[in-house]
Amino acid sequence: MVGLNRRFLIGDFRGAFVVEGKGKNPIESIFRLMIKHKFIDGLLTCSKTGDSPKLILKSDEVELPSRNTCFGVNSLLKRAIQKYRFSRLAVYAPACTFDGLNKTQYFGIGCNWTKTAISLKVGFLCPGLLTENGFTAEVSDITGKPGKVERFYFDRGELFYLLEDGSSVKVSPSIHHHYINSACRYCLNMAAKGTDITCVSLKEEDKVLFIVRSERGWSTLAHLQKVSPGEVLFRKADGELLTSVENFLREKILLNIADIVERVELGLPVPKWNDNKLRKFYRIWNSVDVNFEEEVF
Amino acid sequence: MFYRDRLSFEEEDFKLKVGFLHFSSCSGCQVAFLDMFEEAVEILDTVELVYSNMLTKRRDIPRMDVAFVEGALCVEDPHHINLLREVGKKAKVIVAIGGCAAFGGVRRLSCGNQLPQPQSQTFVPVTEVEFLRTKVKYAIPGCPPNPSLLYSFLLALLEVNEDFLLPFELMTSSTKASGFDIISEVVNKGFCVGCGTCSTACPTRAISFNRECGKPSFNSNLCVHCGSCLAACPQSFKPYPQPVYV
Repeated sequence: MVGLNRRFLIGDFRGAFVVEGKGKNPIESIFRLMIKHKFIDGLLTCSKTGDSPKLILKSDEVELPSRNTCFGVNSLLKRAIQKYRFSRLAVYAPACTFDGLNKTQYFGIGCNWTKTAISLKVGFLCPGLLTENGFTAEVSDITGKPGKVERFYFDRGELFYLLEDGSSVKVSPSIHHHYINSACRYCLNMAAKGTDITCVSLKEEDKVLFIVRSERGWSTLAHLQKVSPGEVLFRKADGELLTSVENFLREKILLNIADIVERVELGLPVPKWNDNKLRKFYRIWNSVDVNFEEEVF
Repeated sequence: MFYRDRLSFEEEDFKLKVGFLHFSSCSGCQVAFLDMFEEAVEILDTVELVYSNMLTKRRDIPRMDVAFVEGALCVEDPHHINLLREVGKKAKVIVAIGGCAAFGGVRRLSCGNQLPQPQSQTFVPVTEVEFLRTKVKYAIPGCPPNPSLLYSFLLALLEVNEDFLLPFELMTSSTKASGFDIISEVVNKGFCVGCGTCSTACPTRAISFNRECGKPSFNSNLCVHCGSCLAACPQSFKPYPQPVYV
């Protein structure tokens, strides 16, 4: 049986830190430093608005998507690896992008030598991706008037949007669930489990929660601290913060599970070669003794 | 192990006999094998290349454990029919490599950028030939497949890594694969996450990325039916084993 515990929701990790970046976005500062000190030779991510993929080559060009929208990142993979011949590429994207990337790395399909070219994978905790139209519709549904979303963040286990006029809007997961990309409704990996580091945006713009998962993520941050001490400050995250993130994920994932169960029960079609992923989850969800770690979701 | 069953050998002497057979194609898949470079050296002591129209001088086709078949079969060509019969007799396992052998590829419509070879019109992928149904175990998509994929595949074949090989086994029963599948199988069924992997996998840029809706858009005129897009899509077969963190 799948237990909606921390291990399933957030995944295994080595440590969690609140990272502070001296008045700047700490993730952007970290990527800037990494390019400057040649830890990486490029950064693959999206534009600030999140609607188009972007390959960043210089440290002063670093700008990351601030909203929960980030489409088409992998479409630049071939250009980065085969045209520019990058061998130390960092990627900043949501979990679904890393599903494609990790699959490309494991099987070798899609883009040649991706296995050795990616040096750091930083995912962000994604409550579900929206298009520009989706944001407009969601904000009008919640506030009753149109508004443009500047950034999204989590505060005490709740999802918030910071609008262009400076006001903050609390977004309930049940409302948010109606506006997200249809594939995000079946996502069970919102915390970007297949990455080195997962970032969770916090209320203060200069603070981010880092969930460091791999040895590579851990040692990269350690090296960075060594070469640029004091640029970004790391403080061990308290249990309460992680619990609040976990609570949000639990609430959202239950909505996703309800959609998966409904889809399987109705027998709606799935892609060919899908390997019955949803049906497998359905079986495990309704079983008492299957170990979820043996399966991939 | 399927290719060892009828062999008597000393464990340390065993070398997997592989051969490359060429039907109608550009030979790019065989060249992709050669592109493995130094990675290929790692497996040379466990693999013996017994036949290749490009790399060996041998004219007759010997018995082999694994036959990598590239290109689509030209129904009107007697040479291809003979080759088909021989490969059916001499190979224990057949791997359809590349879009032409696996799904028909450019040969499916005879509309590629090169003339049909030979000058004939009817081409079918080997995965569709009933006579070889039990022997064609795996189909590898791509035009040509990535050298890193071929290396990983060979390694998985030697190690009998069934987890890795399973998707390629499933692909033998899917005789048609093209960019249309990305639209009909993934996007239309509500599974597209908009990651752009299909777009990067496409060798002809038939799939581009639509920024407005965050989904791929497909130009059928450029598609060579190689199946890379659907194979690369994280929503098709098993994405990857769950990472283990130490």
